[in-house]
Amino acid sequence: MWTSWTHSKADMSFNPQYLFLIPLLPLVAAGVSALIGRHQRKLAATLAIGSMALAFLISCAAFAASLNAPAQGEVFRQVFNFNWFQLGEGSLRLGFILDPLTAVMLVMVTFVGLLIFIYSAGYMAHDENFKQFFCFLSLFAAAMLGLLISNSLLLLFICWELVGLASYLLIGFWFQKPSAAAAAKKAFITTRIGDIGLFLGMLWLYGKTGTLLFYDGGNGCLESSALTQLVAQTAFAGMALSTVIALLIFCGAVGKSGQVPLHVWLPDAMEGPTPVSALIHAATMVAAGVFLMARVYPLVTAQAGDLSLPTTAAQVITFVGAITAVFAALIAVGQNDLKRILAYSTVSQLGFMMIGLGVGGVAVAMFHLITHAFFKALLFLGAGSVIHGCHEEQDIRKMGGLRKFMPVTFATYAIGMLALCGVPFFAGFWSKDEILHAAHAWPGSHIPFYLAIIGAFLTAFYMTRQVCYVFFGMHRGDKHHAPHESPRTMTVPLTILAVFAVILGFLGTPAWPWFSGWLTGHPVEFNFGKLLAGGALGMMVLSALIACGGIGLGWWVYAKAAAKPSIELDPLEKLSPVVFGWLRGRLFIDELYAATVIRLTTLLAVTSDWLDRVLWGGMVQLVGGCTNLFSRLNLTIDNTVVNGGFDQGCEGLRESAGWLSRLRNGQLQNYLRTIGAALFVLLLFLIWGRQ
Amino acid sequence: MNLFELLKAVAPELIVTAGAFLVLLVDLAFMRGHEIKRRLAVSGGVACLACLAAIVWISQSSGTANLPMLSLTPLTQLIKQVLIGLTIFTIIVSLNAKFTTHVGEYFAILLLAAVGLMLLVSSENLLMIFVALELVSLSLYALSAFNKASLASAEAALKYFFFGGMSAAFTLFGISLIYGLTGHTELGAIAAAMKAQSVEPVFYVALVMTLIGFAFKIAAAPLHLWVPDTYYAAPTPIAAFIASGSKVGCFFVLARILIQGFESNHGSAAWQQFVSGWMPVIAVLALASMLLGNIAAIAQTSVKRILAYSAIAQAGYALLALFAHEQRAMASLLYFVITYAITVLGSLAVVSIVENSGSRDRLTDFAGLSRRAPVLSGCMLIFILSLAGIPPLAGFFGKFYVFTSAAGAAKDLGMLWLVIAAVGASAISLYYYLQILKQIYVADAPVSPTAIQTPVFAGIGIVVLAAAVVVLGCAPDLLLDKILAAINSVG
Repeated sequence: MWTSWTHSKADMSFNPQYLFLIPLLPLVAAGVSALIGRHQRKLAATLAIGSMALAFLISCAAFAASLNAPAQGEVFRQVFNFNWFQLGEGSLRLGFILDPLTAVMLVMVTFVGLLIFIYSAGYMAHDENFKQFFCFLSLFAAAMLGLLISNSLLLLFICWELVGLASYLLIGFWFQKPSAAAAAKKAFITTRIGDIGLFLGMLWLYGKTGTLLFYDGGNGCLESSALTQLVAQTAFAGMALSTVIALLIFCGAVGKSGQVPLHVWLPDAMEGPTPVSALIHAATMVAAGVFLMARVYPLVTAQAGDLSLPTTAAQVITFVGAITAVFAALIAVGQNDLKRILAYSTVSQLGFMMIGLGVGGVAVAMFHLITHAFFKALLFLGAGSVIHGCHEEQDIRKMGGLRKFMPVTFATYAIGMLALCGVPFFAGFWSKDEILHAAHAWPGSHIPFYLAIIGAFLTAFYMTRQVCYVFFGMHRGDKHHAPHESPRTMTVPLTILAVFAVILGFLGTPAWPWFSGWLTGHPVEFNFGKLLAGGALGMMVLSALIACGGIGLGWWVYAKAAAKPSIELDPLEKLSPVVFGWLRGRLFIDELYAATVIRLTTLLAVTSDWLDRVLWGGMVQLVGGCTNLFSRLNLTIDNTVVNGGFDQGCEGLRESAGWLSRLRNGQLQNYLRTIGAALFVLLLFLIWGRQ
Repeated sequence: MNLFELLKAVAPELIVTAGAFLVLLVDLAFMRGHEIKRRLAVSGGVACLACLAAIVWISQSSGTANLPMLSLTPLTQLIKQVLIGLTIFTIIVSLNAKFTTHVGEYFAILLLAAVGLMLLVSSENLLMIFVALELVSLSLYALSAFNKASLASAEAALKYFFFGGMSAAFTLFGISLIYGLTGHTELGAIAAAMKAQSVEPVFYVALVMTLIGFAFKIAAAPLHLWVPDTYYAAPTPIAAFIASGSKVGCFFVLARILIQGFESNHGSAAWQQFVSGWMPVIAVLALASMLLGNIAAIAQTSVKRILAYSAIAQAGYALLALFAHEQRAMASLLYFVITYAITVLGSLAVVSIVENSGSRDRLTDFAGLSRRAPVLSGCMLIFILSLAGIPPLAGFFGKFYVFTSAAGAAKDLGMLWLVIAAVGASAISLYYYLQILKQIYVADAPVSPTAIQTPVFAGIGIVVLAAAVVVLGCAPDLLLDKILAAINSVG
């Protein structure tokens, strides 16, 4: 079906010059809603949703255009580069790019974003800063879309930072809450640490290749001539320059995508409104790190020698991803906050994407990214609906039995949960299966494969725990305020997302891997036989078993606990209080940072503060005092000599009357004197300089 | 040369002149009995139409002509369009003027000043340049005295006039000495003649004397003494015109005289490579202006005086562009002065609106403006930050281009000392620019603030100017490409 549709649209084209319209529309919406009055709530929401809908339509046109592969084995790619401004002899160039990677992300971000915008209109209806919320959301969308269409690392970096800013504003949206303000600050600072690496990598890349354009007709920094040059140089420890730069860029991705050790900000970011968590901290922004690595993938894999072994960069990415996947899944088991569990789950799934990137390449990682975006947005919006229905309660121990009160939310949430656990035929199954498959075949090491299996098992386990606590058993909340189902603006987006959480996986089954074929430019045939051939079937059975095992174990442990009227101790806590305490305490990473990095920074800050006050401050005071003195002197001269001269002239006029006296007195002579003096001094200066 | 050709070449000037007379006629013949507001609207409308007609004519005409006294190139046509555009904005700002009842004369003289500027930029002959300069100056003297009710206005105009007349005399003396030395008044011919002969000390006398008149017009220290008083006491729209239109035209001509006319006598002001010529003079003027303007501005309490001292400092920055004395220098200079003109016009327009609402221009009169007039304050924020050179506003790129072209002008970064001084000076300037913004955004509004009434057209004009500052800052190539294309077409 897809292939035939592609053919019918074969003449469809999209000029990449017009890609800028996609981020521009939400940007205009953000600008306009920043200026209008705060009571114009309807206008703000309409603008944001309308601009996002238009951006979605344009993205669809771009997507349709990108379906035409130019030739067998080639990737569709169109770029539009332009001069931003002249810089000495050279010029700074930016550009837009349209390729399958951009196209699929554009459609995903605009579509999920649109649904979340609509959902927000319901969720935030009672907030007094409603207008501001939509302004920030639009700003975020604009920055995110700009990031996707960048064909220049610089433009990408600008948007990357703007995304960070928008995220800061949205996490701290309820800034009256000290915890929200602190979380916003934490997110901003933590991601900034990673961005230093990205920035250094960018500078190094520019210094060596002289361009930051990705693709530029053979002269871009990701094209073969630049790559050959980078591979040929050794930076240090035997690593090629391309590898080092790729690792530096990866630092930025670690920060933004919440990989260990910079994952600490993402769970705290749940202090923001739930639609924000869904949009930014589940579906789009955190995926930007994976997208960035996918974009610079040629740098990651560039190597000169033995091509069969993965590069150092790919190995680092894989191991960081694998550790993150298990680590975050472990912590998720011990959490009681509905959104925090999902946050750790996001961190863990991002780890999966990084594994996919390291072991299987762009197509594997991107497939999981896309399916994850849909089912995680679904889960978050479902969580928002639950929180809304339970009167802002977020502790899963105080919920229970919601299945009866919120049927639509329950059904959609269950679909999202099954997709996340990787139950066969849901989207997450196919994408996770591909990652496991690629990890198994990876020549580097088998450890990531085993870690991924543990991660997948834990995922199924903690999601079952959560669903048991929230939807099954009996209601443990306030008896007087029964939970209620959410309004239509919230349930309709849930339903739409749920549909996608099921069907999206069929774009990348082993029988018909259309998605990876499209991303890599290889048309694929439908071949049912491949489903059963080779290791594919075995791997599918294995991953299905893991998912079902995790769910089964979870059900066995928690179904009974959820049926009780109150939960004093978690069943696992009874089993081993120490281990569970560690998990609940998030393995005390935050405390570790507080005791080391933060204490060191505080010490440095105190020292610098002292130096600043005493040493530098004294010098500044001195300079400032001198300047002040000089300017007073100037003022005095101005007042007494120049103005005073004029005043004297006026005096003279009053005394002796008549114009002539005035001409001969005071001001005119002073002025003439200045001109004369200037003439004299300048002449002297020139003639003295003649020798 | 036939008469028709000549008429065609000066058609824009003729259109604006005709506009000036038409304004007089309309106002004196038909509008006498009406209230001031209507008279301002009608006369201003006629003046704007004349300016628009001139712009349209220029954009339609071929753009090149070489006549004995006038030489029209795409570059001069571009500058003329800019000048007329600035005049239009000045007219718009004047529409709510309260300082005069002589509406017709006011607009007529303003248009005549514009004609003077247009002739000024289209001539390559020193004599013609001088005549045009005088036309501009005399119009501006009269305009700055237009507030007849204010003693300060008369005082400022008188100072301006005395100082201007004196420096014009020096310039004329300088021009006659140059004529005596070379036998020419045509810039190209002067350059050729100077190349052929050895430099005599009297040339330096001529050079410095000629420069004095221009230094006066562009408000460079030490010939800046008139600036604070005139900006402060002249009607604000006129101060804006002196700071914008007049400055663009005079900078262009100054650059032309130095780069074309004194081509071979540039000398060098590079570190330890001192050679006599016009460059050391410009370096002294630039350094003095930057330091004096920025430091003196700190002690001011009046916004207009702050802007006046800032104008002196900005003139100093602009002079830096001349050291590269080639096409890039011209382009960066023009980019700088045009964006500066837009910015200063906008900021003085905001001041004028605040003044017209019954307060004065002290810093404290701007306290809490952001609560009383948010849009106006937003525009002022853009203008002031642009003047301070904060990216991504036009002022940043203006400074950036000027500084880089100066830094690369001499061998071994010889001009770096001046660039470092300029960067240091502009760091000082942040202090007083932020003082204004602090009053607008941080300080509490007075207990019983006067309401700010923004006239429709002036409001639109200010928003357009602010938008231009932002757009030119984000995409500087929009303007720079045009300037470079115009320069390249001259060859």
